[in-house]
Amino acid sequence: MTARQGTTVNYKGLEVTPIGIARAQNVALLDCPPGSNTQRGNARAGEEFAVVSLSFKVTPAFKETIVKKPVLTDAAGQVYNTSVAIIDPGSQPEYQCSFPFRVPAGTRIASVQIDTATIDVSALDQK
Amino acid sequence: MEIDRRAFIASLGGTTAVSLMSSEAKADALEHWMEDQLDAQAAAAQGTQEKFPTVAELEAQIETRNYRRGTGNVFVNTRGNVKKLEPMPKNPTLQDFFRLRFAPANHVLQSATRALKTGMSEEIILACMLHDCAQALMKADHGWWGAQLFEPYIPEKSAFAIRYHQTLRFYADPDAGYEYPDLYYRIFGQDYTPPPHIEATYKMLRNHKWYIEPRMVTVNDLYAFDPNAKVSIEPFTDIIGRHFKQPKEGLGNDNSPSAHMWRTLANPDAPL
Repeated sequence: MTARQGTTVNYKGLEVTPIGIARAQNVALLDCPPGSNTQRGNARAGEEFAVVSLSFKVTPAFKETIVKKPVLTDAAGQVYNTSVAIIDPGSQPEYQCSFPFRVPAGTRIASVQIDTATIDVSALDQK
Repeated sequence: MEIDRRAFIASLGGTTAVSLMSSEAKADALEHWMEDQLDAQAAAAQGTQEKFPTVAELEAQIETRNYRRGTGNVFVNTRGNVKKLEPMPKNPTLQDFFRLRFAPANHVLQSATRALKTGMSEEIILACMLHDCAQALMKADHGWWGAQLFEPYIPEKSAFAIRYHQTLRFYADPDAGYEYPDLYYRIFGQDYTPPPHIEATYKMLRNHKWYIEPRMVTVNDLYAFDPNAKVSIEPFTDIIGRHFKQPKEGLGNDNSPSAHMWRTLANPDAPL
């Protein structure tokens, strides 16, 4: 399944909507749904974090399960991982999460995948 | 500064854990918590990176203290006198040490909880639960000390993970989900470079078949500094039962290669 820019994709009863992409050298390390972890991560020289924000809505169809971490694909097809994990995704009815992906500076972002769900975020990337 | 009482108590492991702490330990914990809150608020307000010390600046602080930074937590109180410790039971178990010497152990329990909830192996969950416990005994080289402390009782993979998380924490690995944290800029210095033995260990680990075990300890480590997280040792009872070889004589009384380390933790006031 693929969501076009800004549209919602339903993954196993979890409605996921892309909100935006920001760039940063230093990011908060918060799992999803976010708690109040105090640690922050740092990009190295020549790199940056592409921080993809997604909103989640838990529908009655959702059954508590381990949801894979999102992965990001850039415009050239290169895949990147995030350190943020989705933990207890059914614990709150709605929430927003930010997923930092460490990429070479200037990388254009195409999409984010959560397992079989693909979310097109290319138009959100202001780079 | 306004104190969120519930958040603070939760950060220590809940009311039960707090009831076991001395007044001094509570005061210490409160001060640490307030410092962390202030740091977080300041960073958020600025919206920019904080300024981190250099290695030279940290070194210049050495002679301003009456203790060394690598000293184990049971031996030093950085803000006053130490208090008498509650004695250990006759045949102490791992859980007894968690309750009476490692408490509140919130960070390691958060780390293990994350490993559990993300479906990691029981060897990794156990390693996460134990990875920083040796800091009660010795902070410097705590990975090696910790592995040695637990080695006679736990799976080889878990001991490997505890020993080498100390090395891997200095090396980011975005594929595995590990980012270099601000914390190390703050405590080691922004311009810190790991010593040669750590570099050599890192090279060895990159090609090791068990690389992922210590790496996952570092990944969960990073996300286990939530002052509001509510955790306990209860969810790990079965894993401890399956993987921790609790000696019937009690830890410290079993003549294992690390029995002396457990005895030291049990009685850190022994003069010799």
